[in-house]
Amino acid sequence: MGTGDEEYDYLFKVVLIGDSGVGKSNLLARFTRNEFNLESKSTIGVEFATRSIKVNKKMIKAQIWDTAGQERYRAITSAYYRGAVGALLVYDIAKQLTYQNVERWLSELRDHADQNIVIMLVGNKSDLRHLRAVPSDEARAFAEVNNLSFIETSALDSTNVETAFENILTEIHRKVSARQMDSMDGDEIDKVCMKPIRIDATTANTNDSAAFQIKQFCCNASA
Amino acid sequence: MILNLDIVEMGDHSQKYANDSDLKNSFWKKNIRNLPGRASPKKDSKSVSSSASTSFDDFQESVSDAWEVEVEEEILRIADVKISKRIVHSSANNVIGFDKASIEKIHKSKNYSNSDLKGESSSQTDKNKNIENGLNLSEADSNKLSKFQTLLESNLLNLEDLKALSWSGVPVEVRPMAWRLLAGYLPVSSERRQQTLERKRIDYANLVKQYYDTDKDEVYKDTYRQIHIDIPRMSTALFQQTIVQEMFERILFIWAIRHPASGYVQGMNDLVTPFYIVFLQEYLPIGTNIENLDVNSISKENRNSLEADSFWCLSKFLDGIQDNYIFAQLGIQYKVNQLKELIQRIDGTLHEHLMKHGIDYLQFSFRWMNNLLTRELPLKCSIRLWDTYLAESDCFATFQLYVCAAFLLHWRQELLEEKDFQGLMIMLQNLQTQNWTDTDISLLVAEAYRLKFTFADAPNHLTTKR
Repeated sequence: MGTGDEEYDYLFKVVLIGDSGVGKSNLLARFTRNEFNLESKSTIGVEFATRSIKVNKKMIKAQIWDTAGQERYRAITSAYYRGAVGALLVYDIAKQLTYQNVERWLSELRDHADQNIVIMLVGNKSDLRHLRAVPSDEARAFAEVNNLSFIETSALDSTNVETAFENILTEIHRKVSARQMDSMDGDEIDKVCMKPIRIDATTANTNDSAAFQIKQFCCNASA
Repeated sequence: MILNLDIVEMGDHSQKYANDSDLKNSFWKKNIRNLPGRASPKKDSKSVSSSASTSFDDFQESVSDAWEVEVEEEILRIADVKISKRIVHSSANNVIGFDKASIEKIHKSKNYSNSDLKGESSSQTDKNKNIENGLNLSEADSNKLSKFQTLLESNLLNLEDLKALSWSGVPVEVRPMAWRLLAGYLPVSSERRQQTLERKRIDYANLVKQYYDTDKDEVYKDTYRQIHIDIPRMSTALFQQTIVQEMFERILFIWAIRHPASGYVQGMNDLVTPFYIVFLQEYLPIGTNIENLDVNSISKENRNSLEADSFWCLSKFLDGIQDNYIFAQLGIQYKVNQLKELIQRIDGTLHEHLMKHGIDYLQFSFRWMNNLLTRELPLKCSIRLWDTYLAESDCFATFQLYVCAAFLLHWRQELLEEKDFQGLMIMLQNLQTQNWTDTDISLLVAEAYRLKFTFADAPNHLTTKR
């Protein structure tokens, strides 16, 4: 599972959001490069990485945008929500405040992201067992109420990092496939799936350029 | 549809852009003779203002030829003052004061002669060459140093002279004092300097007492929390020392409180670092390796001075670019658009290439602007770059745009070889500068200067040559 130029069936844009210092950049580094850095510098603006994995026999290329956590960057980072089909909303299981702020991040997504975006709540730093401040059950219940999937990860010891990304990509794939089926007899498709088509024509435009692309659209729909 | 939008936006910015360069122009025109890399200017500065009223059609017409001609050729053609890349580089090097060979020696040498002990570069591979050229180097180096010393010792310092001399790099021996003066922290009158220094250091100590040592207001707790999260994440060993982290936290916290319109913004910690390192070196023998330095080994009094000086210089430095850090970071967004327009004019091929692959300038240049390239360059190179920034005084915000443009163009070939969005983004986020030396920075700023001269001081170049 390299990150090279291999062929892929789907290209999904996913954003990583959440408070500063919860470990977004390290989750990304672990997933895309199998690296972890205890003193990774704060992210300025946005950073980009990618990796392709196989889901349901389809090659999926995940284009992941890591965002700065500080509120001041919201205006810049929210531009990157456009066209995203998935979001990992990360908090730190050892810092209650980062969990409390999950609500605010959700409303950010409501304001700026596509309404069909798949959101996964991620409690990171699960290795810090002795410092846990957010009970798993509480977070899981919150996720259920808000229709989010939920997982706890540790970028440090790799626990569940792979699974988290696999799960969200699978879910996105499922949603997209279902929508493609729907579209056979409706125009529902315009809302989400047709977005990528615009890309080719608008490469000169800015923020949504790397949005959400489905290759071989017709073939997939009938597959 | 989208294309139309883009054009309108471009026209709109070109208008602002022209106005902007018009305003800033005065600074440049005043100092023309003093600055390195400057070919004899022949342009009528009046022509600048007329571009502000140029209609969009004119603008479009004037730049449309950029798409047809090879870039290098185009630049040579429009630059009727005949500054080619090569000439700028060589003349920049000459103005720096020495022949190119000796410059390289300065940066690559470490411990040969007395004046070699600059500690600016860690490369020790060129020792033999250094010995050959050692004499030249000493002469050239001490020549520049003595020019600085003469200036700094004069009763009433001529700040313009200091800027002119500093633009091409400040010797490590005099850098702390030169930076204090360039930043406007200390007065030009030498007899008032010591007094001011003492007073400012006391002022800072009082600010610490007033804002930091007392209970922090609820509003400021978020600020403190953010700073407290970011500082320990600064990588090198030096910054893993609690004592250093506390100094940075105080500097940034007090700055944030005193600048409520912007407050602390992630990345500002990187802007403290060059000041901190330069002032820290003042208390150490020249050439000391600071990587493994125990800052506790410096006396408390000196540590306090170091912290206060870093604070005040940072404050002066950020004054000119505060709009970078206000809500929505409008200053940066504006500059990113300027960068886009500039590259479009200078290097249509590269611009098209980036556009074709869906690269948005904001995606890579936001960090360049927000952190003034500190994240893209080795620390010693940032320090050298700041010699030039500080010598640019109030205009460095403008100049930084050209530095970013020159920096992007430096990677032109490699970027053109990347054939997809992913390859381009990954490359742009990790530009390989780890082996850069001061010489690379000298060339970078010389190139930036050439671009500024060609495109900002004379935005009508393209029109008038038609």
